[in-house]
Amino acid sequence: MTCLEFERDLPECVEGVPSPEQQAHLNSCPACSGLLLDLNSIASQAKMLSAAEEPSAAVWNAIEERLRSEGLIRRSEPVYLPVEAKPSFMQRWRAAWLVPVAAALAVVAVVKLYHPTRLNNDDAKQVQQPITSTAPVKNASAKRKPALSHEDQQWLSTVAARPPAQLAKFRSDLDQANAFIEDAQESLQQDPNDVYMQQMLMNAYEQKQMLYELVVDDSSH
Amino acid sequence: MTDARKQQGEKLTEAEAIERAKQGDAAAFKVLYDLHKRRVYSLCLRMTQNTASAEDLTQEAFLQLFRKIGTFRGESAFSTWLHRMSVNVVLMQLRKKNLPIVPIDDTLEGDEEGTIKKEPGAPDERLAGSIDRLRLQRAVDELPPGYRTIFVLHDVEGYEHNEIAEMVGCSIGNSKSQLHKARLKLRELLRVDRAEKARK
Repeated sequence: MTCLEFERDLPECVEGVPSPEQQAHLNSCPACSGLLLDLNSIASQAKMLSAAEEPSAAVWNAIEERLRSEGLIRRSEPVYLPVEAKPSFMQRWRAAWLVPVAAALAVVAVVKLYHPTRLNNDDAKQVQQPITSTAPVKNASAKRKPALSHEDQQWLSTVAARPPAQLAKFRSDLDQANAFIEDAQESLQQDPNDVYMQQMLMNAYEQKQMLYELVVDDSSH
Repeated sequence: MTDARKQQGEKLTEAEAIERAKQGDAAAFKVLYDLHKRRVYSLCLRMTQNTASAEDLTQEAFLQLFRKIGTFRGESAFSTWLHRMSVNVVLMQLRKKNLPIVPIDDTLEGDEEGTIKKEPGAPDERLAGSIDRLRLQRAVDELPPGYRTIFVLHDVEGYEHNEIAEMVGCSIGNSKSQLHKARLKLRELLRVDRAEKARK
């Protein structure tokens, strides 16, 4: 399969499963592999843009005024609050997730400060800053490993040359991020109107994004 | 409903708010508005790229919803009903302004050169891991209107191609083609943006 042939089938490949012939081409062509990875990233990150902004208060004022003038508002009742999502375990998830990411960021900052050149394996051994997660597992879903997407697998292949301990940490953080996303998605399946859970899902995608950026920033220096 | 429920700060579910709104309850309308305003407004803003227009369209979408709320029977999710109405409001506005929604007869076949231009020795810099929301938002804003509409409806808002085709009045093939080209264009914009940042 040539690159041109692969590109013709590319739209079906994005967010889908490549055929054996396509996969064989991907395995041998970094350009096509990179293109597919980028398009998958764009498609998945687009979800972050949904429900990201809020209109000004003037919008509701105008709506209410029109509703009254049209006679659709006939009663004034005490203020009600929308039922909020209860699961505090999601709040614990968020806080728990920030700890290992913050720790990893601190390690990278220290390494860059004292070892500005790109780390090789020998340098990595000298850095006595083990990257360990300090966040206790507070949710059963953290123990299971969600299946890795094609994009995750390709991302992991880009860091395959890292030291084993670092690679294991990346994999662990990635599994945690995917489990977080899966939990939020499950909650939204039960109640798609849950605004709080929608925000949690956005946070989950952002936190996975932070993990990608952390690795890419480190490898680009 | 008991009198005990008519208390300040009482929590109201969406279903309860819908029923009360049908009876003209002002606060119930506000609950429904607060639950869905972000998604509706974000959709309008993505499609129009103008905050004033987006606010006008948000207002119009909710007004249409509230005028018709008496007919809502719960056969589909309320959010789906509202969202579809919002999309129609936006598309109608774009048509009134004669802005292109989707280019005509644009299909996948035709580009024989291909996207991948191989430069000997040039590193293949991947975007994966370097896309943040602000950069992606800026890139989406730079898309041609036709590409932007399809991208927003499919990748941001989650509509399927058959739904998009019905809403915007194009073929499914056209929708797929525009989406693919939108993603390719976004990739190009994001790479340029990253290169410019690296130079600074």
